[in-house]
Amino acid sequence: MIRLQGIRKAFGRTTALDGLELDVREGEFFCLLGPSGAGKTTTLKTVAGLEQPDSGTVELDGRDMAGVEPYDRGVAMCFESYALYPHRSAYDNLASPLRSPRHRLPAAEARDRVGAIAELLGIRALLDRPVGQLSNGQRQRVALGRVLVRPARAFLLDEPLSHLDAKLRQQMRAELKAIGAVQHTTTLYVTHDSVEALALGDRIGVIRDGRIVQTGTREEIWYRPCDTEVARAFGRPRINLLPGAVAADGCFRSADGKVELPIGAAASPGTEVLIGVRPRDLALGEGPGHELTGTVYVTEVLGRSVEVTVRLGEQHVSLVAPRADTAGLRPDDPVRLTVRPENLLLFEADRPERPGRRIGQ
Amino acid sequence: MKTRKRLLGWLADAALILYFVFALFPIAWMVILSLKPTNELFSTYFSFSPTLDGYRTVLGDSEGIPFVRFFVNSLVVSVGAVVLSLVVGLPAAYASARWRFKGSENLMFTLLSFRFAPELTVIIPLFVLYQKLGLFDTYVGMIWVLQLVTLPLIVWIMRSYFADLTPELEQAALLDGYTRKQAFFKVALPLVKPGIAAVSLLAFIFAWNNFVFPLILTSNEAQTVTVGALSFLGGDRPKYNLTAAAALVSVVPPLLLALTIQRYLVRGLSFGAVKS
Repeated sequence: MIRLQGIRKAFGRTTALDGLELDVREGEFFCLLGPSGAGKTTTLKTVAGLEQPDSGTVELDGRDMAGVEPYDRGVAMCFESYALYPHRSAYDNLASPLRSPRHRLPAAEARDRVGAIAELLGIRALLDRPVGQLSNGQRQRVALGRVLVRPARAFLLDEPLSHLDAKLRQQMRAELKAIGAVQHTTTLYVTHDSVEALALGDRIGVIRDGRIVQTGTREEIWYRPCDTEVARAFGRPRINLLPGAVAADGCFRSADGKVELPIGAAASPGTEVLIGVRPRDLALGEGPGHELTGTVYVTEVLGRSVEVTVRLGEQHVSLVAPRADTAGLRPDDPVRLTVRPENLLLFEADRPERPGRRIGQ
Repeated sequence: MKTRKRLLGWLADAALILYFVFALFPIAWMVILSLKPTNELFSTYFSFSPTLDGYRTVLGDSEGIPFVRFFVNSLVVSVGAVVLSLVVGLPAAYASARWRFKGSENLMFTLLSFRFAPELTVIIPLFVLYQKLGLFDTYVGMIWVLQLVTLPLIVWIMRSYFADLTPELEQAALLDGYTRKQAFFKVALPLVKPGIAAVSLLAFIFAWNNFVFPLILTSNEAQTVTVGALSFLGGDRPKYNLTAAAALVSVVPPLLLALTIQRYLVRGLSFGAVKS
């Protein structure tokens, strides 16, 4: 269990963490998602005791960690830079925790353990090589192995798959959660890749400017994003956000008046809003829900499905439809779109100082 | 075009040769001088019958000048000074590279200022102090005073080596379960080995070549080669051939050392320039 409360940390004049609150439950796989510079790595290092917060408390398993040295915290961390010992072989890097005073194992046991982990990560054949001779992807796996090889109160993983090639990354992503050690160890996983976060996280925390803006399961984050930025962060193609205002009758009306949608949420007339709908929640043709009409702008084949960009007045929206529904669509063809009311998200309009918050339940 | 290029090449070669002659001439002269018999030193006509008598005299402790002892003294004092500086300086360099603490920059600058203050400014008070403390003409005294030469060098150069290492390596060691001390000895220190080799050699040469401190702070027991070689110039007739032989013999240790750690030296001097 990891609990961070009111963590502040500044490096000189730049604020890295600004009152960060984080609660990772026992045994949970928690993904911390955010752009670079949001404070993800600083958060991990604060948990590990490598950075001292200016204020706030770090708790591990209910114990306050103030003044506890990193080696006494019992956490393992995988660095984004790998931080492998360049003067040693891959084997010695993996075995390093098992030779330390705190996690020492008898040599034979350590050898078995390192072998098992190397097998798991597909680096068995590389063990004798100095790490300088390994590719980035191989080094990253050694770095991950050095974490998994030992028991820990928590695993802290800083973008551990970022340097793998696409195919291997997908494979490792699938395997990572199946690894026994990961299953029963609290894991705080940092990434800037929303697909990774959705695939791996039991819960996801979205971090921005040194603060957690939303925490929740993948469903909560996906269906009830707290603001437009979180909504934009998940899903490709991106969520459609149409600007407009709440009309006197309580409906949403776009600025040019071409799009009109009833809204369930309570918003006073005249409020500037954005209405959001994900590309996969828009359907072509007749169906249940609200109807919109527009013209085809461009179509793009994604494989089994097709991304269609539709012009609605002055706005463009994209939708993803099965190939069969899009047969024969040409630019400028008129089309009908339907959207179920429960798939509509309503946000305040974006402001320069912060993205628009979601309105309603 | 081609001939012009070739001409330029020759000119460059000629210039280089000229420079070599210029640079190596004093050494050549020393070698010739050291091979001359004493009675030919001041002859006004050309005569040169090479002999190793000069070296025999110098190394044989005749003439009442214990040159071999000076040589041993130099070794003891220089090696001692370098070792002491490493023991004190490596942790200091590491600490100053990794942590900013109150006054750390002032401390580092003070250390550096020992290097650019002329030794002569402190030599007289030091002489008095050494006389009173019984450090005059002792190994301990010499090793101590040579810290002014070797310590700033080692601390400042090693500091930049440590600063080039990413702190995440030691952080990884801390999380692997090692203490800070172990992280220093097992991770940071092995990675700056080339730097240690390079800076030790430099410090050794500086200590070995130092002239002012042994001149004033030793008389006989702890006197070093730099001062000792001059003893041959005393007496009724200066024996330049013996001084030359002594000087050449005293070049041998730094030269040997440089050759043996050459491998590290190149790596040491280019370390940190390329990121892997």
